[in-house]
Amino acid sequence: MDIENIKKEALDKLENIKDRVGLESFKRDYLSKKGKIRDLFSLVKDLPIEEKKTLGQKINQLAQEIEEVFLLKEKEFSKEKKEEIDLTLPVKPTDLGSLHPITQIRREMERIFQLMGFSVVEGPEIEDEWHNFDALNIPEGHPARDALSLGKTFYLKGGNVLRTQTSSAQVRYMKKMKPPIRIIVPGKVYRYETTDASHETNFFQLEGLLIDENVSVANLKAVLKKFLEEFFKREVEIRLRPSYFPFTEPSFEVDMLCTVCDGKGCAACKRTGWVEILGAGMVHPNVIKNGGLDPKKYKGFAFGLSIDRPTMMKYKINDIRLFHSGNLNFLKQF
Amino acid sequence: MIFSYNYLQSFFKEKLPTPTKIAEILTMHAFENEYVEKKGSDYILSIDVLPDRAGDCLSHIGLARELSVLLGIKVIYPKAKIKETLKEKLPIIIENNDDCLRYTASIIKDIKIKDSPKWIKDKLEVCGINSINNIVDITNYVMLETGQPMHAFDYDKIVGGITVRKAKKGEKISLLGEKEYALDENILVIADDEAPLAIAGIKGGKKAEITKETKNIVLESANFNPKLISQTARRLNIRTDASIRFEQNIDPNLTANAIERAVDLIGLPSSKKIDIYEKKLKPWSIKISIDEINNTLGINIPQKEIIKILTKLGFRVREDLTVEVPTYRQDITIPENITEEVGRIYGYDKIPLTLPAFSNPAQINYDIFWQNRAKDIMKELGYSEVFGYSFIGDQEKDDFNLTVREIINPASSYYKYLRPVIFPQLINFTKENLKYFDKVKIFELGKVFGKEERIVLSGAISNNDYLRVKSDIIALLNNLGINNVSFAKEEIKIGKDVIGIMGIKSGITFFEFEFDKIQKNAIDNREYKHVSYHPIATRDISGLVDEKIDVEEIVSKIEKIDLVKSAEVFDVYKGKNVPSGKKSISLRIDLQSEERTLDGQTIDKIIIKIKETINWEERK
Repeated sequence: MDIENIKKEALDKLENIKDRVGLESFKRDYLSKKGKIRDLFSLVKDLPIEEKKTLGQKINQLAQEIEEVFLLKEKEFSKEKKEEIDLTLPVKPTDLGSLHPITQIRREMERIFQLMGFSVVEGPEIEDEWHNFDALNIPEGHPARDALSLGKTFYLKGGNVLRTQTSSAQVRYMKKMKPPIRIIVPGKVYRYETTDASHETNFFQLEGLLIDENVSVANLKAVLKKFLEEFFKREVEIRLRPSYFPFTEPSFEVDMLCTVCDGKGCAACKRTGWVEILGAGMVHPNVIKNGGLDPKKYKGFAFGLSIDRPTMMKYKINDIRLFHSGNLNFLKQF
Repeated sequence: MIFSYNYLQSFFKEKLPTPTKIAEILTMHAFENEYVEKKGSDYILSIDVLPDRAGDCLSHIGLARELSVLLGIKVIYPKAKIKETLKEKLPIIIENNDDCLRYTASIIKDIKIKDSPKWIKDKLEVCGINSINNIVDITNYVMLETGQPMHAFDYDKIVGGITVRKAKKGEKISLLGEKEYALDENILVIADDEAPLAIAGIKGGKKAEITKETKNIVLESANFNPKLISQTARRLNIRTDASIRFEQNIDPNLTANAIERAVDLIGLPSSKKIDIYEKKLKPWSIKISIDEINNTLGINIPQKEIIKILTKLGFRVREDLTVEVPTYRQDITIPENITEEVGRIYGYDKIPLTLPAFSNPAQINYDIFWQNRAKDIMKELGYSEVFGYSFIGDQEKDDFNLTVREIINPASSYYKYLRPVIFPQLINFTKENLKYFDKVKIFELGKVFGKEERIVLSGAISNNDYLRVKSDIIALLNNLGINNVSFAKEEIKIGKDVIGIMGIKSGITFFEFEFDKIQKNAIDNREYKHVSYHPIATRDISGLVDEKIDVEEIVSKIEKIDLVKSAEVFDVYKGKNVPSGKKSISLRIDLQSEERTLDGQTIDKIIIKIKETINWEERK
């Protein structure tokens, strides 16, 4: 076979190679040690010296030419092919895990109070009647115990109750810690109640307690306002109204100027311009005494904040029962 | 309580502000107003009188007294003009002064039972009380006015005299408009010589009921032990306007005024008041300190102003700053009560905002720290956090044979036990969610209640894929700094300690950990491990090992060998072609050096060493 024929054949083949596999087999057939071009040298070895020289040069030239084209082709293949994409095709969003909205709000509340020097502590959910009632100045037969126990307390066989408020942890920590005491107690509480969109048997509260030698209503007002402003991330106006809790004296209901209508009156605040946000007061001397401290020396304030309700306000949730529904259509929104 | 605006107005010469304005003032200084509603020419004010003030403010005079302080105007108290000319007498005995502090009665004769005049009917209607007849209406009217509940008996139906005593076991009473009640020695009754006429402080009976035929009556105005009335009302489950008031501390000095007011309204001569009042309640004193009041409120109210407020409230302030409390304010017993009075009348809105001085930084709560960390990792693993009730029912209890604590008064039969584990609820949640989702992955970190209250971390996924869950668990624990986790058949262990369980139920894979055991082993500080850039050599080996050797143990032994990066079992087989006492396992082993690329010879040597370490036998 002569050189020109081989050249034409090789170039044709190279031209038509479609993939890397083709390229590999071409390399094997033509350019390898046993390839067709190398084979040509076998023709050379019986020729006279002069011709040997000329033909040899021609073969080398051929090899060089073919290799050049080959390398170009190889380069072309080694370039990554551009992937075609089409973002108009439909997909579902990636499935992520999620944290319960109450967990998220609780963390936010804990964060804010920690910034103000309040340590986060927890108390037991099964309480003895002494810590849930007596320690909080609610003796047997007291009208408040009546309202709390008769209608709202879950009693357990073999004694004890499910705590009806996180306040039951107050005396435990007064006994455990030395003033100044600055704690919040977030956690689950229980009420024996008929459930509806705004009432639940299992819900969450956050109790705050500050005990020190000089504590005033002015301190309470400032701490609560600061907290609410951090929490709602806006300026907040609060007001204190007289209230009654056996474990605080004076006692207050704390209202916040409605954030929906700025006090003009709307459906969210029942047209009053104010939203009831928590109960608070100065710790009753009997409670301080029950905590093993001298009420002449120490004073304090306490407040009880619902975690569920601000969560509902923040996300505009209209049914408290969703929190314990286990419904992922609800939970995955947060 | 429902108040009538016109009724309140009747105690003042000055014109009162509008009902809405009054409601607003009361809300900020005394009691919350629920609503204001126009009714005919009057307005309804629904006021939530606070429980400690029920003794004096469940009455129009009580609320008028509050308004007089807040508005700076004077209350004109109605004055009764009565003629006590009748000679009639009725023997009255109180068996125990602790049960009944005072009993006041008046006899009136030749009464005509008829409808009440319109002005009485109107006021009762606004206040939500049904008109019955002129006599009963007057007792109710006086109660609305003074807060003193009253009762009228038919004088001619009383046999002998009246005794205030505990009922005897076996005694019965038919109450007005109600069924018959069995009484016992815990219930205080008003009785004649024959039988009980009324349950004291709660409701009258049929025996001496006022009827159309009644000619002569006995009016009762008494003061009973609040605890006793409260317990009885609770036990019998009867709440009346009278019992609601008697459950609080009503002023015993009120009975005479109230009865005179009623006699005056009836407008007939009466007998001399029969009044049994052994232990007269006198005003008591509390020593106050102006500094204490101001320090507690966090403001500086001048002494003059404080004394003015207290005086207007009816307290007498002596020069040495002892405050004499009027007997209608039995809620005031300690200096803090006085502080509250001063604060609320002065106005809480006037108290400035003062942040407390900085004391100590908050302490980190490591329980919460680790709970948060675990929750975050679960979320990263694609699980969604759920909260279940702390309650379960028979379905969960029976499905998993659980030992439970029982609630005496459950909210429903589905929730009568405290949950000792969480996973049954997660299985139910998973099933429920599968109606809307192809795949479900959920977890809860919460309290369970066995002998002790504990925290567990529980999870569930909607497929029958326990190895997937095992991977998640390893990732979770590694992320919490726990690397020595091991697995038994259905248990998860750290060392020898079982920290959790795993299982499959109805195609749902679940697990549950004791969280304190995780927390105990969790480590926050990490140490950098050298990153090798030399290639990993992977070898798969299959063969026989002793059946009794734990797969976990094999892996941990292999991983201790030098240059072994990791070992993973990808198949375990027993049965056909495997000699008894043996099991066939397939392992994938990754080898890597930090200094060089491993050559074939070195790799072969390590593999031999691995086989020796675990008593490897080639499969025949």
